[in-house]
Amino acid sequence: MAPLLRISALIDALNERVGKAVYWLVLMAVLVSAGNAIIRKVFNMSSNAFLEAQWYLFAAVFLLCSGFTLLRNEHVRIDVIVGRLSPRAQAAVDVFGTLFFLLPMAILFIYLSWPVFVRTYTHGEISTNAGGLMIWPARLLVPIGFTLLAAQGISELIKRIAFLAGKGPDPITRHDAHAAELELAEEIRRIAEAKG
Amino acid sequence: MTAFLIQNMAPIMFGALVVFLLLGYPVAFALAANGIFFGLIGIQLGLLDASLFQALPDRLWGVMSNDTLLAVPFFTFMGLILERSGMAEDLLDTVGQLFGPLRGGLAFAVIFVGALLAATTGVVAASVISMGLISLPIMLRYGYDRRFASGVIAASGTLAQIIPPSLVLIIMADQLGRSVGDMYAGAFIPGICLAGLYAVFALGVAIFKPAWSPALPLDARRLREPDGSSGTWSFVVLAVLATSAAILFDRFYYVPAYPEAMLDERLVLAAGAGAGFALACAIVNRAFKLGFLSRMAEQVVFVLIPPLALIFLVLGTIFLGWATPTEGGAMGASGALVMALARRRLSFKLTRQAMETTAKLSTFVVFILIGARVFSLTFYGVNGHVWVEHLLLNLPGGQLGFLIVVNILVFLLAFFLDFFELSFIVVPLLGPVAEKLGIDLIWFGVLLGVNMQTSFMHPPFGFALFYLRSVAPARDYIDKITGLRMAPVTTWQIYWGAIPFVLIQLVMVGLLIVFPQMSLVYKSGLPEIDPGKVKFEIPAEQPPDVPEDILKDLQKGTPAGKEKAAPEKGPSAEDKAAEEIEKALKGGK
Repeated sequence: MAPLLRISALIDALNERVGKAVYWLVLMAVLVSAGNAIIRKVFNMSSNAFLEAQWYLFAAVFLLCSGFTLLRNEHVRIDVIVGRLSPRAQAAVDVFGTLFFLLPMAILFIYLSWPVFVRTYTHGEISTNAGGLMIWPARLLVPIGFTLLAAQGISELIKRIAFLAGKGPDPITRHDAHAAELELAEEIRRIAEAKG
Repeated sequence: MTAFLIQNMAPIMFGALVVFLLLGYPVAFALAANGIFFGLIGIQLGLLDASLFQALPDRLWGVMSNDTLLAVPFFTFMGLILERSGMAEDLLDTVGQLFGPLRGGLAFAVIFVGALLAATTGVVAASVISMGLISLPIMLRYGYDRRFASGVIAASGTLAQIIPPSLVLIIMADQLGRSVGDMYAGAFIPGICLAGLYAVFALGVAIFKPAWSPALPLDARRLREPDGSSGTWSFVVLAVLATSAAILFDRFYYVPAYPEAMLDERLVLAAGAGAGFALACAIVNRAFKLGFLSRMAEQVVFVLIPPLALIFLVLGTIFLGWATPTEGGAMGASGALVMALARRRLSFKLTRQAMETTAKLSTFVVFILIGARVFSLTFYGVNGHVWVEHLLLNLPGGQLGFLIVVNILVFLLAFFLDFFELSFIVVPLLGPVAEKLGIDLIWFGVLLGVNMQTSFMHPPFGFALFYLRSVAPARDYIDKITGLRMAPVTTWQIYWGAIPFVLIQLVMVGLLIVFPQMSLVYKSGLPEIDPGKVKFEIPAEQPPDVPEDILKDLQKGTPAGKEKAAPEKGPSAEDKAAEEIEKALKGGK
């Protein structure tokens, strides 16, 4: 189990890094899109490259952050039933889901999207819009994103099995999703109290 | 057995989906797995073409290059930054002072600020947390009923879901294949009406249960004149003057200068003129200490300007035809950043936190959509949409029967599913049927939007209630002003408080069914928004060098069931997929 857990920790660290680097693209997409609208209005100039860049950036965010989001357990679930189960049962559901839901999907997408990337790359395809961007970088995001997702799936699988075998801690943390909101609420409360 | 499977593939697939989802594994992957599993079975049975899944890369490409979806991260990010900027707190504080002297005044202030915040951004958590932290303690201090206070806060926070710009409306427009601008225009009057109904309820409470919502006592009214008067009249006079300035600007300057101007354009600019006039008065008054405005009037003007400026960035630029709804979101987010920076509220840590939350939220949202696309590939392949249509078209009562059944269904589903799941899984199945019954899809979308808003208020899972619970006092506490020991707000009080507002919501759904005109004004051109006005420099004709491989993919990947379904289908998801591929061919525009 120990070597497997080390692999899992490595994958976690990788997706943590990727996630924290990639979320800056959110800010970039905002600025590109707003800048584009302003430039179009003020200078009466428009660039398809920038229009495309904004969705390239967003595609990079959601594809590359998919593993990170799984690491944080923030892909939404319907936990009406599972929320009431014991931690062991929840871990078992996750083992099942990772093996039969997540991994087949991720592998299918990697398998199907790789040839598309290779084709667009070797043909050097460019967007058909005047002044548009190269297509292959966006096509490449798909296999990379789903590989990160599959890797994170494997890491979660290892953690769940270790927990079921009694060799690891309970990996499922609930209501993580709202941690940032709660932290913020603390901040607002602190400022409000300092004022009044 | 095989024959039975072939006959009933769609219902079996749908039943399995329910089981898959209830397992509690993330929705996105359960949806995709369901599509893949039944796709393989369908291929085995000869129901579907072996190359079915070849269509997936282009379906995904369609999701990636969908401009409308970009609004999700933009508005989320804007909401998070706004939350961190302290704007909501200032608004609540000042507007609370303005309305506070009235019985029920704090409740009106919460509804007003809720509606105002809703018009700047589309995120519920932002408003509920601010109001729960700023207004709730004041309401409790001066003896508001705990159920009423928490209900009003949770409900006003959810207004963000229905008053444009809102994520629900954007996604609804995308899923129903309508323009976001029209959806905004269609939601405008219903959104305002809903806020109005909340206010009517608060008024009823103030009249019939005065003990539930007392007026602020004198010593709690901070923004008073040196002579002790409230200064409200000064504000009323200023409001009247500003309105007159707006009308004069429109009648005697703008219309003579630009006779062709559309009504929406005139509205935006006239509102800008009025606000500018009020701001100029307030600045002059403060700078030269002239004292022609009361402190109250001056303060109200200063706190109202930032949200009005943001509304202009987000909605005004769309009405004027300067930006697309997506770009409006980006402009709003940039505006919020600038404002937060100017107020020195934007730390590095908070910005990173906002980006991280945005990235994770948009990832899970888009992944649900990707999962739903995989599901629909197979589901439409086995004619699932035809099955759903048969079920729904055979309902008694035609249009009305369909609307009633669908709304009850969505209301019940909203107890378990949040609006992203509902919009990506359920709405695409309902849209084509609604259209076949001659229901206007904007009206239908707004109707479902109002209905889904309840999913935030349903005890016990509603998010608005959850956020409010997290900021409302859960234990006894000592009030800082009065020094008295205060009882906590119990979870049951929050639940009970939400119920009247859920009922109001249902009344609104009923009203909207009876008076579709509220939404249909989008056609009459009253608030005419036409994103088509925003022109991009993209050649109308596609050059002939369309990448052949994509075309090939397209042909290969056509599900076998499509031919069979073709004669019966309306603008179904297949068409949408085709549109997407078209879009992809054009490189995303």
